[in-house]
Amino acid sequence: MSTPTGKLTRVILLLLVMGGLYVLATHKHKQREELRQSTVALTPGCEAKLARYGLAAGEHYQSPYVLAKAGAPVKVRGYSEADVRAIQRGCNIIDDTQGHFARVAGAERWNSKRFIRGSHTSCDHCHQGIGDKQDASGNRLKGSLSLGASWVMADMYDRFTGLLLPYELRQMQCYINSSNGYKPNIADDLVRDVTAYSRFLSAALDLKIGNHYDEQGVDEIAASATIKQGDDYVRGEALYKEKCQVCHGRQAFGVVAEGRVVAPALAGPNAWNMQSRNYFYYVSTILPGFICRNMPLGQENTLDNQQCRDIAFYISNLPRPAGDRQGPLIALRNQLLMTVLPPLMQLTESAEKSPQPGQQAAGAQPGQQAAGAQPGQQAAGAR
Amino acid sequence: MRPFALALKDKAVVAQHWPQLQGNLVVGLTLALVTLPQAVAFSVTLAGVPPHFGIYAAIWGVLFCTLLNPSRVFHGGPNTAMSATIGITLLPLAPPFGAEYMGYALTLGLMAGLIQLAFYLVRPLGRMLDLISEPVINGMICGIGLFLIFKSLTTFGGLPLNTEVEWPLWIAWQSLLAVLEIGNMHAIQVGMITLITCVIVQQFARLRNWAILFGIAAGTLYSEYLTATLGLDNTLIEQIGNLSSIGFVSPSLPLFSQEAMPDVIAIVPGAVTLALLGLFQTVAAMRRMNRKVGGYTDSRKAIFSDAVSNCLLPFLSSLPTCASFNRMWLVHRLGIHSRIAIASSALWLLLLVLFLAQLIAIIPMPTMAAIIMLLGANMINWEDIKPHFKDRRETVVFMASFLSVLLLDLFGAVIVGSVLAIAYSKWAQAHPNISLRGNVLKLRGNLYYGSLPVVESTFHSAVARTRDLTIDFSDCYYIDQEGVRWLAATRARHDVTFTDRRSGEDRRHGERRTEGDRKRMAGRRRERPDRRKRSEF
Repeated sequence: MSTPTGKLTRVILLLLVMGGLYVLATHKHKQREELRQSTVALTPGCEAKLARYGLAAGEHYQSPYVLAKAGAPVKVRGYSEADVRAIQRGCNIIDDTQGHFARVAGAERWNSKRFIRGSHTSCDHCHQGIGDKQDASGNRLKGSLSLGASWVMADMYDRFTGLLLPYELRQMQCYINSSNGYKPNIADDLVRDVTAYSRFLSAALDLKIGNHYDEQGVDEIAASATIKQGDDYVRGEALYKEKCQVCHGRQAFGVVAEGRVVAPALAGPNAWNMQSRNYFYYVSTILPGFICRNMPLGQENTLDNQQCRDIAFYISNLPRPAGDRQGPLIALRNQLLMTVLPPLMQLTESAEKSPQPGQQAAGAQPGQQAAGAQPGQQAAGAR
Repeated sequence: MRPFALALKDKAVVAQHWPQLQGNLVVGLTLALVTLPQAVAFSVTLAGVPPHFGIYAAIWGVLFCTLLNPSRVFHGGPNTAMSATIGITLLPLAPPFGAEYMGYALTLGLMAGLIQLAFYLVRPLGRMLDLISEPVINGMICGIGLFLIFKSLTTFGGLPLNTEVEWPLWIAWQSLLAVLEIGNMHAIQVGMITLITCVIVQQFARLRNWAILFGIAAGTLYSEYLTATLGLDNTLIEQIGNLSSIGFVSPSLPLFSQEAMPDVIAIVPGAVTLALLGLFQTVAAMRRMNRKVGGYTDSRKAIFSDAVSNCLLPFLSSLPTCASFNRMWLVHRLGIHSRIAIASSALWLLLLVLFLAQLIAIIPMPTMAAIIMLLGANMINWEDIKPHFKDRRETVVFMASFLSVLLLDLFGAVIVGSVLAIAYSKWAQAHPNISLRGNVLKLRGNLYYGSLPVVESTFHSAVARTRDLTIDFSDCYYIDQEGVRWLAATRARHDVTFTDRRSGEDRRHGERRTEGDRKRMAGRRRERPDRRKRSEF
């Protein structure tokens, strides 16, 4: 290969590859530019929300929400056509991260699915009400993780490292910890659009920068806030079956109907992952707070503190994926476990529920009978 | 009269040695020109510290190493893999280029230096480094080369760095997509021009060592052209920045405050990685250069010079150093084997930085990233790797250490590499050749804790099959304590006899006897078996 011809071939090949990549990059840039210029097809939720807040391009912006609430009009600097499109795309990303409503995959929400693992995650699942949850009379709800309220506390100091965390970096943490995915580059349109939307929400709700609002975070439930000390897995499981199973499913793997997520997964490959830095803190205080404020959907604030903690304890002990920071090997092991375990659990549960018909059904499939008939697993299921 | 005569003599001496000195100085200048861009690129794009860290490493690090190491071709200085380790270790802890980050970088360097000093002072530790085999080092170097290419992609595309470090393969893939989709096209153009210039210039043997300089010149000129026509606000190409504040020396202190302690403890694995990576590379480079130059310099001296210079450098705002095989190879090829050449490169560099700081300031970052990518690609040298694929065992070791860099972090890769190296060196010994002929079990190889399981399993199956088993130790050269214990236990059995057919004559001449001789000797031994046995233990 070290002959002059071989050398020349190699150099030409390298140049061709580089040229090809350059042409590809030019093409992709052009495509993206066209995408940013084209009109956005809004999801039904976003269409209603943005119409209610009167989003339109213009020199000034006046929020109908503020007008109705305070009675006094508040005018702020308006948005350009490009700004409006960015806000609309941001709203779409929050409402429909998986792109179920997109006419052309990847066209309206710009490549957000690439950074997410599993088929369930949507920003809306945690940031309730497309990032701005309100009750029937239009009051903002406490502990709903509002994006508008997050934006006005935009650059927060991380409570663990003491580092200044810009809003964009906080979105990165969402991608890694909550949506169990990969980080987009911080200069990515995805991050910019969500920032634009959050910023718009804060203007529409007339939230002031630097202020603390109740809907920004969840009110955390510490052990001292409960009467019964300690968390009980059995209690949590019973409560889950009573309150949560209807939506999230028997094994908490979420419910998907006609390709759309009805209820997100709390366990299994599609759930949020277990690598969050504040994992224990999250499970013991933040998650219960979130459950109390936002769950069950439509009957918020009906669970007491202890119940929320029990449920949080139960669901956080369900199998969930590892993240990149735990290394590819652990991620692979978890992925394997989560593929193998669910059908096994299904079998044991069905065997435990009705042994007679279960055995009859299993009789048709000999493999299942062997798995379902193991006494150890039955005992484990019964617990 | 005397002083005059002396002066005359000196003049003659100077005149005699002047051509050689001149040659040394020219080589020094070449080295300085080659090292400068590397030093800047390593510190800025890999380690995340200001450029003067790399430059001081190339000045003071090179001087220390040259003074302490008697080898004539030894060239220390900033190193790719070590700089990358600093970045990987510290990026999760603090924002790069900040005061805290720099303090941690110095602490990391000092800890690495102290660990290296331990390797020098504790002889067996230093000796362990010799057990690290070539496939392990080559595998790691190739892995790091590929890793560097991935890592510079974002800078190449003019994109901001994501600060948290994930699995390298994902970084690579996501960075490539990000560069294609949202990369700064002006930055990409500058990087491409640098890369293409370098690759083309490299093809000419005479210009090979200057390729990097040509590339930097081309990239900088193009970026200047873009800035002149479009304005820096439109091109948004990042530049190195002003270096004119760099003097001869910049004293500094590593960060060891009480608040920083948790982070300092967190970077200990990084320090171990840094120390080991440096020593691996130094020892490997010394070993190869010894072979190429034809002389011999003890690698222990190189460990000493590395350790001492790395202990001193953190107090001079400098990156840690280790041997650079590329630059050592360059010194060797330029044909001058004198430490003056290398020492003068440090002084040349100082002059360059003092007088050309304004020129260095406008070098664009994408150009630097392109240079790093090229260096990474050069680390993967097919000629070095090819021999490893001829032997299956070497192939496995090479691939494992190569993949471990990509699949695990660098620390994991260092651990895997060391374990593999030691396993590799012990594997052959752990499988003694055992054959059973009739009722004689013949052992060829060593009897030690590693080979005992193999020996015992064969022994027990042989005992089950034959009566009055004889174990022949004629080709057994080494027995450790555990082997002796096993022998003692085995000797207690009534159905086993030990024999050693080596005679003094055999050992002296190293030749085998004929079958007839052996029979005769065996007959002679049978006459006085008790004495033989006693003499063995």
